[in-house]
Amino acid sequence: MVVEASTPFEASEFETQDLLINVGPQHPSTHGVFRMVLEIDGEVVKDLVPYIGYLHRGAEKLCENNDFRQGIGYMDRTEYLAAHNAELSYVMAVEALAEIEVPERAQWIRMILCELNRISSHFMFLGAFGVDVGVFGTPFIYAWRERETVIDLFEEISGDRMMYAYFRAGGLAWEVPTNFVERVQQVLKSARQGVKDFDGLLTENEIFIARTKGVGVISAEDAIEIGMSGPSLRASGVPLDLRKTEPYLYYDQLDFEPITAEGGDVFDRYLVRLQEISQSIDLIEQCLDRLQDGPIVPEKMPRMLRLPEGEVYMRTEAPRGEYGVYMVSKGGNKPHRLKVRSACLSNLQALKQMSVGQYVADAIIILGSIDIVLSEVDR
Amino acid sequence: MSTEIFGIEDVNVWVDALIRVLLVVGFMTVVVMGLIWIERKVLARFQQRLGPTRTGPIGLLQSVADALKLVGKEDLRPRNADPWTFELAPYLVFIPVFLGFVIVPFVLDWQIRILELGLLYFVAVSGVNIVGWIMAGWGSDNRYAMIGGMRAAAQGISYELPLVLSLLAVAMVVEVPGTDASAEAARGSLNLNEIVASQHEVPNIVWQPLVTVVFFIAALAELNRTPFDIPVGESEVVGGPFVEYSGIRWSMFFLAEYAALLIMALVFAAVFLGGWAWPFGIWMDDAPPRWAQALVVAGKASLFIFLVIWVRASVPRLRIDQLMGFSWKILLPLMLVQVLVNGLVLVYDWPEIILTVVGLFGIVALFAMVERAVRHPRPRPMTAAQLQGEAAS
Amino acid sequence: MRGILKSLMVTASTFARKPVTRQYPEGHRELPERDRAFPLLLWDEDIDEPFCTGCHACERACPVECMTVIMKDNPNHTSNDGPSKRRKIIDKFYIDYGRCMRCNICVEVCNFEAIAMNNTWQGHETSVYDRSDLVQDLPQLLVQSKAKQLQEWVAE
Repeated sequence: MVVEASTPFEASEFETQDLLINVGPQHPSTHGVFRMVLEIDGEVVKDLVPYIGYLHRGAEKLCENNDFRQGIGYMDRTEYLAAHNAELSYVMAVEALAEIEVPERAQWIRMILCELNRISSHFMFLGAFGVDVGVFGTPFIYAWRERETVIDLFEEISGDRMMYAYFRAGGLAWEVPTNFVERVQQVLKSARQGVKDFDGLLTENEIFIARTKGVGVISAEDAIEIGMSGPSLRASGVPLDLRKTEPYLYYDQLDFEPITAEGGDVFDRYLVRLQEISQSIDLIEQCLDRLQDGPIVPEKMPRMLRLPEGEVYMRTEAPRGEYGVYMVSKGGNKPHRLKVRSACLSNLQALKQMSVGQYVADAIIILGSIDIVLSEVDR
Repeated sequence: MSTEIFGIEDVNVWVDALIRVLLVVGFMTVVVMGLIWIERKVLARFQQRLGPTRTGPIGLLQSVADALKLVGKEDLRPRNADPWTFELAPYLVFIPVFLGFVIVPFVLDWQIRILELGLLYFVAVSGVNIVGWIMAGWGSDNRYAMIGGMRAAAQGISYELPLVLSLLAVAMVVEVPGTDASAEAARGSLNLNEIVASQHEVPNIVWQPLVTVVFFIAALAELNRTPFDIPVGESEVVGGPFVEYSGIRWSMFFLAEYAALLIMALVFAAVFLGGWAWPFGIWMDDAPPRWAQALVVAGKASLFIFLVIWVRASVPRLRIDQLMGFSWKILLPLMLVQVLVNGLVLVYDWPEIILTVVGLFGIVALFAMVERAVRHPRPRPMTAAQLQGEAAS
Repeated sequence: MRGILKSLMVTASTFARKPVTRQYPEGHRELPERDRAFPLLLWDEDIDEPFCTGCHACERACPVECMTVIMKDNPNHTSNDGPSKRRKIIDKFYIDYGRCMRCNICVEVCNFEAIAMNNTWQGHETSVYDRSDLVQDLPQLLVQSKAKQLQEWVAE
């Protein structure tokens, strides 16, 4: 195929052959095991074919053999960077089918934990993205420094640093420690400093702006047509935030606006996530103000939960987009079918459209900016 | 023929040359290993972590451990690699760096050789390693290596020009002092020793601020350092032209990079910061002892190295087209203007303060041009729609 | 270029801060009380036998089926003039640490508070050279509790 665009030669005189580059399952821009084959001509990407499935573990099928408490561990592992949000969709689906009323304190604590997980997940994005753009390791270390504080808090609450298995149908597994509020305040203080560090390091850096502005643009119409959600969609200008449009838990009592950006390029996706960390800090403070004492499970919780027949689709705003759980129950204590609507898989469909026509170096950055985690894509 | 070295009279020239060469090799190997350690520790501190701590006290033997590991590795060669090109490429990258050491002025009367055309020689040999990169890239029979090699060569050639012009701008206007305090001063010299001596009152950074900045940027590019490390961009084409090399061959590239860093640091210290001459003075009678001068030179070179590492820890990587645009469209015009101004000052004997003023304006102009380039980037090569339209046709 | 200078300032400020590195094998950080490493069995020191009676509740509840439980008649029971009230006692208990997902469900369903998650460093440092060594049998599961090296935390 012959390129006309920017060469001074006549197109017919200078025929070159396109190169197939395999950005393989293992590559240093770690976002998990993901493979894409780029067809490039010089430096311009002509075509992109993604290959997924390297991390498929059959989570949905496994959940059919496990009851509603055992399945929570599997949900953690489908999105390990935002495990509380993943568990939340699942337990909300179970509660909707079983018509369980969750006590207020449990809901507030769930909100706080989900927002904290959003903070840690977005910090992870900032770290990996900074490394993709080329800063040698500094953003990654800053991100890990902030994540350590959050994860230490999670370890004090649930016992585990990444696979919490803390939510249960009806509330929480056990009560939070007594110094919960002070610890959360400490974490928020350190997170604010982390946001300031990243802001100073990257947002106004001319080289960063030159690398990311105008790169990987996707318009709002295209994004909606593909089915994107989350910060990647909001960066194209669509103010769709499930916490606002379909409030779950007690998000309707909180005061916030969805963060959007015009343009839909890589810089906007970065900026939206950076600002969402600040927004989450603010939301957590609002939740802490409203947190009261009380029970964390309903009084009459059956020992073994049996659901009536029915089906339900519950969706929440995970850090990466709309994470939905579609559950079909035919009686009994195990779901008949569990389907996870994964945000990353839908967002990934936009990769080809965003990358074709850009340079090779930009293809890597664009992949980083969609912020995928392969365990959710492959489940 | 015979010559004298270190006060020993009547030494055969060949023996003398051999001794100097061995000194350079020994000095360089040790210092480069130290440099690797310093870089890892300082970079770690910028990232709020410790660097190597376990091999030797505070990790000092880390480079030795790395070298031992690399020596023990299997010497792989791709089957279809062109044997001569593949084998010779490391040497062509490594040897010019050693050659560059010849003209570096360490202290008052000690260099390997005092060449009248020192700067010209330096620029000439530092261009040879570009050939080495191309040979490495092509000889590896690997498309990633070839991409990396081509990028490295393009970058190296593009940034030679601002580098050369910046050194030229300085060499044009230096006032070389005479043999003692009362003799007349001559203008213009390529001899590095004389350039250093000319800075006995004021270092060149004061007279040529813009040139210093441009030299720093061009040196970063010549050294393949962030933000110009596309050829060895680890998150993209892993390793660039050196991806197929393993063990000792790879370590030669690595050492060459750090040795080049050291040379650039010493040249920077000599040309812009005053080398051993500032602030102590140059006359043999009241010059301070050699070890003090050596410390001063080392301190100035360390400043350069610290700045390079600092920039590496903070700044993202430029894309190849942005990199080239920066050199050709921003640095080169600025340097041409600066050379013109320097020429005018030289010919019409204007006061040197004009140089400082012009230089500061030049730095402002550099900032403004970078802002403009960032705010109004070049359009994309082609949009997806265009490509799809082309695919359909 | 001002943005680049700002980035340089940010890294310079990090330079001045204390490093956050913790040197691992020399210093272990303190684990929180609820830390959840692999499960262990608890030893009843009053009667000198495990709490576990082998009732299979945890084995059934485990999502990954990592346990094997075999019970036997308790020779220490009061009917044999022993001090224990447990009619049955555990005979063999195998947990495959390679399969366990540390979800804590076995602790929640146990009626006798006989199993707990290890919240000490020994629970985290379980490296072995052969994968089959990860299958722990009854003496191995009891050793820490017998030696009183465990301050277990079981949720109410």
